[in-house]
Amino acid sequence: MYHIQDVDHYYGEKHVLAIEDISIPEASIIGLIGPNGSGKSTLLKLLGFIEEPSYGSILFKGQKVVPYSSEIRFKVTLLTQEPYLLQRTVFENIAYGLKIRGDTKELNKRVEEALALVGLAPESFARRRWSDLSGGEAQRVALAARLVLKPEVLLLDEPTASVDADSARLIRDASLTAREEWGATILVATHDWQWLFETCDSVRHLLHGRLFRGGLGCAVPGPWKFSKEGFLQKELEDGQCLIAPTPLEGKQVAILDPARLRVALPGKVPLLKWNINSLKGYVSRLFLEKNGEIVQTAIKVAELVVAIRLERKQVELLKLYPGREVIILYDSDKMEWL
Amino acid sequence: MDFIQDGFIQAFALLIKLDPATYSAISATLRASSLAMAASLILGLPLGYILGYFDFRLKNQIRIIVDTLLSLPTVFIGLVIYALLTRNGPLGEMGLLFTIPGIAIGQVILSLPIIIALTATAVEAADRNLRITLMSLGANRRQIAVSTLWEVRLGILAAAVTATGRVLTEVGISLMVGGNIKWHTRTITTSIALETSKGEFGLGIALGLVLLLIALVVNFTLSGLRRRI
Repeated sequence: MYHIQDVDHYYGEKHVLAIEDISIPEASIIGLIGPNGSGKSTLLKLLGFIEEPSYGSILFKGQKVVPYSSEIRFKVTLLTQEPYLLQRTVFENIAYGLKIRGDTKELNKRVEEALALVGLAPESFARRRWSDLSGGEAQRVALAARLVLKPEVLLLDEPTASVDADSARLIRDASLTAREEWGATILVATHDWQWLFETCDSVRHLLHGRLFRGGLGCAVPGPWKFSKEGFLQKELEDGQCLIAPTPLEGKQVAILDPARLRVALPGKVPLLKWNINSLKGYVSRLFLEKNGEIVQTAIKVAELVVAIRLERKQVELLKLYPGREVIILYDSDKMEWL
Repeated sequence: MDFIQDGFIQAFALLIKLDPATYSAISATLRASSLAMAASLILGLPLGYILGYFDFRLKNQIRIIVDTLLSLPTVFIGLVIYALLTRNGPLGEMGLLFTIPGIAIGQVILSLPIIIALTATAVEAADRNLRITLMSLGANRRQIAVSTLWEVRLGILAAAVTATGRVLTEVGISLMVGGNIKWHTRTITTSIALETSKGEFGLGIALGLVLLLIALVVNFTLSGLRRRI
């Protein structure tokens, strides 16, 4: 569906996005995760053709397209984190996109279907004003306004960030209908693990505007200082030290690559090589991915949260549970810098 | 102080007795101000949208000029328009001096900066997600402009109310460009000026109250409109 090539995007002087090469297959569900300011919303705006990249190109179905072009106007839609509802009734909000397309056949029926899809009763919501809705209802109306258009691509920016659990489930289910019913491609930026690991076909990690294919990992910002022994290290809030190799000039953020981390129990740490270091933490969250074989394991180490994908058998063997103390082993020579 | 009380009594008498001179002045006032407001809205809304929506070179400078024009004295506008429309002026051949359209041209100069400045402010203050939402729903540039103006309609209504008030109550332009010709270009404000200069304070106050009544009706209508949209 998309092919992104050497895209760099700037806001003024600030370099906010740098993506070398990535393809997004048709009818896939891709999750985007990353801390605030990592470039998720910017990437979604570029993919929604709301903005044009400063450099590089984004191909849509093999074609280079620009904002407002007829190739994408009626095919791609974006739901922003804080959706804006037009100052009209719920019905008018949902019908807006169809009306500007001149596609008003069976308008009432389609609007009612869209409302039902997001779990809102048409008879009690259709005539309500935009200002009479709660946050969760407004989010669902905004989603209905997009689903009624049956878009080929649905871009969702933190769709469940500020809604209750029921609304989150309804939003998730309604979005999935888009793929099941008309094969929509869905990209969702979220911190909701249920979205990411139960629903998405793959998850991409964005950090400082760069996309990582591997799991969640952990970005460790500075300040970094040299110890008396000559190691570059960051002192964590609980007094532990994270050791890193000397970075290239200007690099400040070290990445703990989850693929290179190991988990052990205290007292059962294997004999360490000289370059293998350890950090003590505790399991804060376990989440079984939809394949049933991999468990996303979040380990809290002082102020850091390190997310590691462990095989289910390994979790059973280590008898991991939230609150259990564990040791993370890492190779300080193989840490990368951002 | 009796002339104030007399003024109130005369105001009702003028309206109830359908005084032809008073109704001629009301008609001239309404015709000139309606023409001026229609032209100001047609020109001012798109210009205000452009000024508020887009970022371009010299935007701040243009904004400062528009804001400065909000303080234009009506007699100065009257003087400039008179100079343009007089027989020997560059637009003299159009024959607009001492006519209602002539007054309306002057009043457009008065009200246009108000419509542009307040529309631009309303558009600038619109939610930053509005444009993204409209684009996401498939709107083209024209549809975005129309929908954005509709979203800030209360701000535009406030601009229209402010500009209408200014146009209805100005005297300098009507006097200089209209010439205060009875049955023709004499408006309520020029009548007040004339009657006051003749020492007819009561009649002046009566006409002032009539003008206030018209303003009340206009604002009442716009207030009703605000609730409905």
